[in-house]
Amino acid sequence: MINNWVRIKSGYGPSVEEIYKDRIGSYAKFYKMDPLSRLGFVASELLLDAEGSRDREWGETRGVVLMNATSSLADDRNYQRTIVGDDAFPSPSLFVYTLPNVVTGEIAIRNRYYGETNFFVLPGADPEQMSKVIEMSFCDDKLQSLLTGWIDCEDEEHYDALMFIANRTVCGRRAELAEEIAALFEKEIKY
Amino acid sequence: MEELILNLKKQIIEVLNLEEIKPEDIDENAPLFGEGLALDSIDALELIVLMEKNYGIKIKDPNEGKEIFKSVRVMAEYIEQHRTK
Repeated sequence: MINNWVRIKSGYGPSVEEIYKDRIGSYAKFYKMDPLSRLGFVASELLLDAEGSRDREWGETRGVVLMNATSSLADDRNYQRTIVGDDAFPSPSLFVYTLPNVVTGEIAIRNRYYGETNFFVLPGADPEQMSKVIEMSFCDDKLQSLLTGWIDCEDEEHYDALMFIANRTVCGRRAELAEEIAALFEKEIKY
Repeated sequence: MEELILNLKKQIIEVLNLEEIKPEDIDENAPLFGEGLALDSIDALELIVLMEKNYGIKIKDPNEGKEIFKSVRVMAEYIEQHRTK
């Protein structure tokens, strides 16, 4: 069911920024993003390159549904540093990223996806729970495919992204989908 | 004034995370918004914080901000006239 997928994980291969410079580049907004959004952006760009569907107008037929366990922790920590102390100056640009679902918006806006966008904070990377979320997303009848998966960023040195394309064929095949997701988590990196 | 403009460019690059831009890439007479550096509304808020944090200038009126942030040179001229630190 899952044909196109990307895995980026800290400790394996180049950093997110190195992958960006090597494979993507020329998207100035990248450097303004928080670590979670950078990870999601890079993973989505590589995934969509692999899918080869850049020219297609997906509109409401494609959504972005991502999941993790640490929410926007990396950015929450960075923002907290700007609000502590008598001479604190809160950073507006850090504040806007103190929600994990910002990354879904970054990807949807970039690719003009107008379907379901959601971000779920789960206890852990549980393939069964992830497959439930993915199947549930297809309750939206217009949705034909999802850019989905696990995207967790505890800080700039501890992150893990498993992003893939799921289409409507997953409906009614939740156990099979969970098995495929579990198998992908066993693999190290692919981008 | 030229030293202030250079410092301001460095500060803008730092606070706005303009990683691939050098001070000499920024035309001090070019508009900061809409064209030029193509900054957005969040960047405008960061510039307001920069003015207060580095120069002790509080900008409360959004319309005033529009005028002050026309270009780096206009910013520098405003700072020179109103700075408290």
